[in-house]
Amino acid sequence: MQKRMRNQLKYSHFEVRFSAVAFARVSACAVLAASTFFAGILSAQGGQPSVTAKPEPGIPAAIATPPHDLSGVWMQYPDGDVPGVPGMNAVDDRTRPPLTPWGKARFDAARPLVGPRAVPGQENNPALRCDPDGPPKLLNLPNPFEIVQIPGRVLMFFELGHIWREIWTDGRPLPKEPDPTYLGYSVGKWDGDTFVVETVGFNDKLWDDSYGNPRSDATHLTERYRRVNHDTLELQIIIDDPKAYTKPWISPPKLHKLEPDWEIAEWFCVPDEDNAYDEVVRKPAGVAPGHK
Amino acid sequence: MKHRHSLPANRNMMLRFARQFVLMAAGILLAANVLAQNGKTSDDGKMREASTPLSHDLSGVWMQYPQGDVPGTPGMNTVNERFRPPLTPWGQARFDASRPLVGPRAIPGEENSSSLKCDPDGPPKVLNHPNPFEIVQIPGRMFMFFEEQHIWRTIWADGRELPKDPDPSYLGYAVGKWEGDSFVVETIGFNDSQWVDAYGNPRSEQTRLTERYRRLNHDTLELQVTIDDPKSYTKAWISPPKLHKLEPGWEIAEWFCVVDEDKAYDQVVRKPAGVAPASKSK
Repeated sequence: MQKRMRNQLKYSHFEVRFSAVAFARVSACAVLAASTFFAGILSAQGGQPSVTAKPEPGIPAAIATPPHDLSGVWMQYPDGDVPGVPGMNAVDDRTRPPLTPWGKARFDAARPLVGPRAVPGQENNPALRCDPDGPPKLLNLPNPFEIVQIPGRVLMFFELGHIWREIWTDGRPLPKEPDPTYLGYSVGKWDGDTFVVETVGFNDKLWDDSYGNPRSDATHLTERYRRVNHDTLELQIIIDDPKAYTKPWISPPKLHKLEPDWEIAEWFCVPDEDNAYDEVVRKPAGVAPGHK
Repeated sequence: MKHRHSLPANRNMMLRFARQFVLMAAGILLAANVLAQNGKTSDDGKMREASTPLSHDLSGVWMQYPQGDVPGTPGMNTVNERFRPPLTPWGQARFDASRPLVGPRAIPGEENSSSLKCDPDGPPKVLNHPNPFEIVQIPGRMFMFFEEQHIWRTIWADGRELPKDPDPSYLGYAVGKWEGDSFVVETIGFNDSQWVDAYGNPRSEQTRLTERYRRLNHDTLELQVTIDDPKSYTKAWISPPKLHKLEPGWEIAEWFCVVDEDKAYDQVVRKPAGVAPASKSK
């Protein structure tokens, strides 16, 4: 219980830090839903999801799970596997393979906003310039995303940065020589109950996570989505980036909760607005929970 | 032109095409403009001949026709400045303070369009750009995906009302419903950080935007924009309908506005206000 409470507090703190803007803008309905969610965590923690992602015993599947339907607004469970930075481990730093020399040079040059390597005043996270975020970093941030399925495509809408992304499901292959982009080029298909998304064509301007782990243009990203039950979506991320890492980086599965009443709010990263936000919330690396 | 459009997988080409569109269209505009002035409604009239109900499916990638009603600015007149009502004092002050990148008021070196900072665009300005957008309809909602800045927008079509006291935002809060053959979108809740067009005409937080979409035939989407912003304009600003062409082979490319990358782009394409086509004519 004590641990749960701690996670809860950390999570709430984190949530306030990273979602203050979004939740200030979200409708009263969603705010209500959010508070219901937080309140609900305590009671739902009987089946507290863990890093090993064995949710079936604890999370009742009260409603039948629609087959091959991932639609809805999903929010990461605050399982807090990384001390002080709950919900940011869809890409799990602890399972990272050794860096290549290229990867090491990039990693050393990165000055993150959070975590033990954060140095106040030296932050160089591209998010400070409001550069667009992309996968897998986007999947790491503790903000909701929505999935919409239409014929031939799966669309993902991320609250953070108001980013949208499309995953082609019309059977097309990955492009041979894609232009490097922030979001990459994604195709997906069902493998049994798992929706498998493969993405290539990334640029190397973003990190894989908030801790400065590099993403090169050789990255082949695999995301495996599985709707464990009606209310629970599991996501496992595999980063195969031979330019940055000596072997594939396989993160353990991560759980997300369906939030039926939430709507994705407008949360753009705007340089002017963000100057103030940075000073208060994002930039003071020295006081980030992870640093403590 | 057709072969140029038949390369959907080549996103870079798409992107380049979009970016070069202003320059390309400027070239063909002088001729097209003459024709457009005389025959502006003839296409429209032909399309209305069919008495069968028009499709309620607006899905697809749409691209503005380069009608070029404003000299030198092809395809950028969904919000048509020639129909702008007189400004209020507040609107006039905002307008005078704006330093657009294009048009007769552009002054090289003094531009202050928020797009130079990569601030997010919003309607109706985002509808004015000569870049494609895609419409996706799902039950209860319509999505619009704009290539420019990779903007997406939700239009609620589940019968909900407009919010009473919406938080000001770049995109506003939009609801839509069918009125006969027209899909009518009403948007409120804008902030005043954006202009309504590229010429610096203001958008206040009192703006109520109405967009009327009509699929005249399989390949043609009509859009008529009305801006009711009593804080900026002395009466409603009603722009004439504008046509868009279906581009079945196109896909919306990734075109983010990134501050670093955009510095170079600005110098070449967006910022040289002094050499913009419109200012040549003055």
